Amino acid sequence: MFRLDADRPVEFCDGLRRRDFLHAGALSALGLTLPGLFRLKAFGATTDPQKDVNCIMLMLVGAPSQIDTWDMKPNAPAEIRGPFKPIKTNVPGIEISENFPRMAKHADKYSLVRSVYHTAAAVHDTGHQMMQTGRLFQGGIEHPHIGCVLGKLKGPKGDVPAHVLLPRPIGNTGGNMPHGQSAGYLGKAYDPFVLNADPSDPNFRVPDMLPPDYLSALRVERRREWRAAIDKTVSMFETSQDARLLDSTFQQAYTLMSSQKARAAFELHKEPEKVREKYGMNRFGQSCLLARRMIEAGVRFVTVNMFETVFDEITWDIHGSKPFSPISCYKDLVGPMFDNAFSSLVEELGERGLLANTMVVAMGEFGRTPKVNPAGGRDHWPQCWTIVMGGGPLKGGTIVGASDEIAAAPKDRPVNPAEVAATLYQGLGIDLRVELPGAQGRPIPIVDRGVEPIHELFA
Amino acid sequence: MTRVLVFFAMAGILPAAKLSIYPPKVDLAGPEARQQLLAEADLGRAQEDWTRLAEWSSSNPKVAAVDASGLVTPAGEGEAVITARREGQSATVKVRVHGARAPFTWSFRNHVIPVLTKAGCNQGACHGALAGKNGFKLTLRGYDPELDYDMLTRQSAGRRVSLAEPSSSLMLLKPTMAIPHGGGKRLAPNSLEYRVIAEWIAAGAPRPNSKDKEVAALEVFPGKAILKPGSEQQLVVRAKYSDGSIDDVTRWVKYTSNSEGVATVDESGRVKVTGHGETAVTLWYSSRVLYATITSPYPNTVSQDVYDSFPRNNFIDNHIIAKLKNLNIAPSKPADDATFIRRAYLDTAGILPTAEEVEQFLAEKSADKRSKLIDRLLEREEFADYWAYKWSDLLLVSSRKLRPNAMWSFYYWIRDSVKQNKPWDEFAREIFTGTGSTRQNGALNYFVLHKDTVDLAENVTQAFLGQRLTCARCHNHPLEKWTQRQYYQFANLFSRVGVKNGSEPGDSIVYVKTAGEINHPRLLRPLPPTPLDGQPAPLDAQADRRLHFAKWLTSPDNVYFSRNLVNRVWGNFMGRGLSHPVDDVRATNPASNQELFDALVKDFVDHGFDVKHLIRTIMNSSTYQLSAEANATNQSDNIYYSRYIVKRLPGEVLLDAMSQVTGVPSEFRGYPASTRALQLPDTRVVSQFLEVFGRPKRVICDAAERSSDPSITQALHVINGDTLNRKLSAPDGYVSLLLKLGLSDARILEHLTLSAFSRYPSEAEKQQWVAMLEKARLATGTPEAKQEARRQGLEDFVWAMMTSKEFIFNH
Repeated sequence: MFRLDADRPVEFCDGLRRRDFLHAGALSALGLTLPGLFRLKAFGATTDPQKDVNCIMLMLVGAPSQIDTWDMKPNAPAEIRGPFKPIKTNVPGIEISENFPRMAKHADKYSLVRSVYHTAAAVHDTGHQMMQTGRLFQGGIEHPHIGCVLGKLKGPKGDVPAHVLLPRPIGNTGGNMPHGQSAGYLGKAYDPFVLNADPSDPNFRVPDMLPPDYLSALRVERRREWRAAIDKTVSMFETSQDARLLDSTFQQAYTLMSSQKARAAFELHKEPEKVREKYGMNRFGQSCLLARRMIEAGVRFVTVNMFETVFDEITWDIHGSKPFSPISCYKDLVGPMFDNAFSSLVEELGERGLLANTMVVAMGEFGRTPKVNPAGGRDHWPQCWTIVMGGGPLKGGTIVGASDEIAAAPKDRPVNPAEVAATLYQGLGIDLRVELPGAQGRPIPIVDRGVEPIHELFA
Repeated sequence: MTRVLVFFAMAGILPAAKLSIYPPKVDLAGPEARQQLLAEADLGRAQEDWTRLAEWSSSNPKVAAVDASGLVTPAGEGEAVITARREGQSATVKVRVHGARAPFTWSFRNHVIPVLTKAGCNQGACHGALAGKNGFKLTLRGYDPELDYDMLTRQSAGRRVSLAEPSSSLMLLKPTMAIPHGGGKRLAPNSLEYRVIAEWIAAGAPRPNSKDKEVAALEVFPGKAILKPGSEQQLVVRAKYSDGSIDDVTRWVKYTSNSEGVATVDESGRVKVTGHGETAVTLWYSSRVLYATITSPYPNTVSQDVYDSFPRNNFIDNHIIAKLKNLNIAPSKPADDATFIRRAYLDTAGILPTAEEVEQFLAEKSADKRSKLIDRLLEREEFADYWAYKWSDLLLVSSRKLRPNAMWSFYYWIRDSVKQNKPWDEFAREIFTGTGSTRQNGALNYFVLHKDTVDLAENVTQAFLGQRLTCARCHNHPLEKWTQRQYYQFANLFSRVGVKNGSEPGDSIVYVKTAGEINHPRLLRPLPPTPLDGQPAPLDAQADRRLHFAKWLTSPDNVYFSRNLVNRVWGNFMGRGLSHPVDDVRATNPASNQELFDALVKDFVDHGFDVKHLIRTIMNSSTYQLSAEANATNQSDNIYYSRYIVKRLPGEVLLDAMSQVTGVPSEFRGYPASTRALQLPDTRVVSQFLEVFGRPKRVICDAAERSSDPSITQALHVINGDTLNRKLSAPDGYVSLLLKLGLSDARILEHLTLSAFSRYPSEAEKQQWVAMLEKARLATGTPEAKQEARRQGLEDFVWAMMTSKEFIFNH
């Protein structure tokens, strides 16, 4: 059994230690030491480069309605089937909503899982937790996001963080619960790098990546040394997680500064205007484009939140009344926004040969009521919904599971969030038996024993 | 490991246990009454559950029978004594039985619904879902027995409940899987639960009515237990009803452990201790919530003297020490004067003490100098700035929805209120009872910000009651007890607030409308305006409904109102709310030290909602004045306040501190030159620094809007960004001044240390730092070049100070 314990040095396999050393040496452009890089990279060594799979997770915050997107029921009564029509895709037998014409041309690159369900309370927050960590938070334990687990196990690749979150974390979605978007019990050191900016902003840039002209490299380096010298004298911060995190953020900042490649990854303005427009000149579209650049630069896991909240913003959360969204936005706004960004991402990853080792998954936190409500919208429905998965080792062009005639419940092959997480872990080349150090050092398995990935998605 | 062994060895040689039986008195009324007894052994520092180990006997089995597990059931009228024996110890309890053969029917409200709830039938994922499941819908966790009764008996052509042939009722066939059931097997045919439903149907399925007794309170044994890791403890829960009767409902309570790393609990109420620390086990029954506190002391050796000699300045220290003693945690040492003055300034007024103030305080000899410092701080203008900022976060003051003049009038009203130390109840009353021009009465801008009734109702509950109601807007709250009905009853309190344009742009008139209701979206009619769990006001009354609300809100009995404020203030100083997070004081979120929380709330209310009194009480406690440095026993304690919790300075405070130490104020567009960040009435003022350091947007009332987590972006900004770098290189800052004064490096460093760290540098630091600066100097070159090199060295040194943990954190 693999077990990682945060507070003890890990058993290194021999060849690995040397490799890490060389790697860190190459990074030390400014003579930096990067103890963070040694950390637990041992584990990553067990995967060969062929299996070094990345992942882009598109969180469709607000929760798309299964019937109006990827599990249409054209033969159901009007109050079920809703206002949209299905269209054919490039894979015979697979039909999706007319709101995704571009996506329909790429159905061979992704699969649809039409029988996802969860059994927790039907609030956004619980779904966010389960889809991003595989678990519902109970008993005071906050589980880590899959991307943070990956970062913990494999460490960063090159000079960029292992896990990047674009553009901003999920904010208030009503439940006042954690959304499963942090490293949880693994500790803040494994939290994702959060962009906290809107890449569609005309002035978008990651600020302060380089020292100002009036500061010489010598002085930047002297400051770094002096900061370390001054701080060493104070011992009271050793037990504070936040204080340790502060030091680690400085280390990471210096790493980014010293890497031309890492900095360039954020320079979205270097993309041709045509490419930017293809993704859609909006927050989600440009975040997806940035996600591609992140993967190219060596980021292992990118989470893109399509929206920040479900209140007073047009999102997938189509209750039909204010402050939520109307069903028509799937045609006017949210649908096209997703169609352009997702399709461009899949296209470009394919063209650049990255799709073979990059999973792309698009998922909401639950489905929506089969029956259209009096306000013309649909409410929360965790009993059944559809998610989109492809890339990397995942098969495209297939459908896993099926819902009943009104998409109210899985009819065939139900899939729960833990199984989705297991699928992603499997795809990322992580042994499902790995245990992580929880509170008081108690080992917590990344998925519960007996949870199986969706085998149908693997060739 | 050794410590664990010592601990168990000590436990093993403790004197003989003292055995007791709980509950201490038992009345069994009716043939179906029952009571699980507990045999608890008191071993001094810990206790053990001997219920399953003891030998149970009854003095008169014809009156009351007891089985090997300690379950007592009625047999005949009269009294009996039940005895538990083990290891030479024994204990007894008197049991009175009456009505043992009286006629009895199960009640829908008090038996059938609890059985369905315990079996999970009406939970959110099953038939309690908004849309039900497979055409069968129950109210969530049985909050509306009348509706459930109709659903079970009236619909589905009587197949769910078959009076003619009870055992063929779907209500029994489905959950026992006698016929297929999507929800799986929920009942065993030979269980008490099956019998409850079957016999209720056989008795003609009597309907719930308004005369049914209702649960008034829950009671749990043991309410608190100190247990060893690995041990188990059965919980016993009793319901006390409106008519004074009591039932053992242990079987039907829903149990959850709040911290499974400390203890887990199974569905029968059996607790298993898994680690060290303390956890609340939440007990939910019939919309009532109670906790049992399970404590598992850390395997430390702490001498009694540590607790006895702890300086107890006020009641806070008593409660803290009691908790730490139970947990076997020793408090850290007291913080020294230098640490205290920095901490007190930052927590109270958001500023650093000046070098002169630090020197003066350190030199002062009087024994009560800390108390005097606290009193002085509470009178400073910066105190008013700091708390006005805090309450502006709470009330969402910003230019987003308010014109500048309106924003200022709201802000000034808040700041004046802080300045006069307006009692918190009066503060709230002024908002909720006022009418007229918002220019004259700034508080009324609250209603300009929240023009929508529903938005207003939700903000009120978050800002003043520390609860979230939003879920109940569309359906019953899936996690709390609030129903959609209660939501719209509550919201209707605010449906007659009118806002119209006043005499100039930015001036509004708040008035009371004579009509106006908010309809319940499903019932399509208004409900009588009612505070949460409060008394309704008549729908047709003409009086301002807000008055009814304000009276309820600010009543000393409204515990949420005072808990909300006390928790926020406590969290400001102690780094973590007694309830966590700091803006969540709902009943189902247990506090880490409930006794202390209750005592603080009582003290706050007894002192007329006096916020400064509360602050003074907290700051004068020895607990607040503990060092942040951990000892061998409290390294992992972040909850029980055995040491000061270090916290990153809020963005605004950090920026002001950088301005103060460099002597270069920040520039905010549209504000006078020397304005500090904490004096801004608006969080929309452009500042990249404040943005990256987690300034809240003030869009929703949520403490999490403010972020205090360090991030890479923050590091990049202080390394490369303009804010700090410009302050350091400014030609008119302290760095320039210190150089102009012609002071030696040693003197300059001492001054800087006092001003940035509020302490003198140690001898070792002095030597090391002087050497560092020395190295930065130029050996040769023009005087200008030499001067410039020295200046750059100094700038770099100040940069290193202000990006250090000692500066960025309050400790």
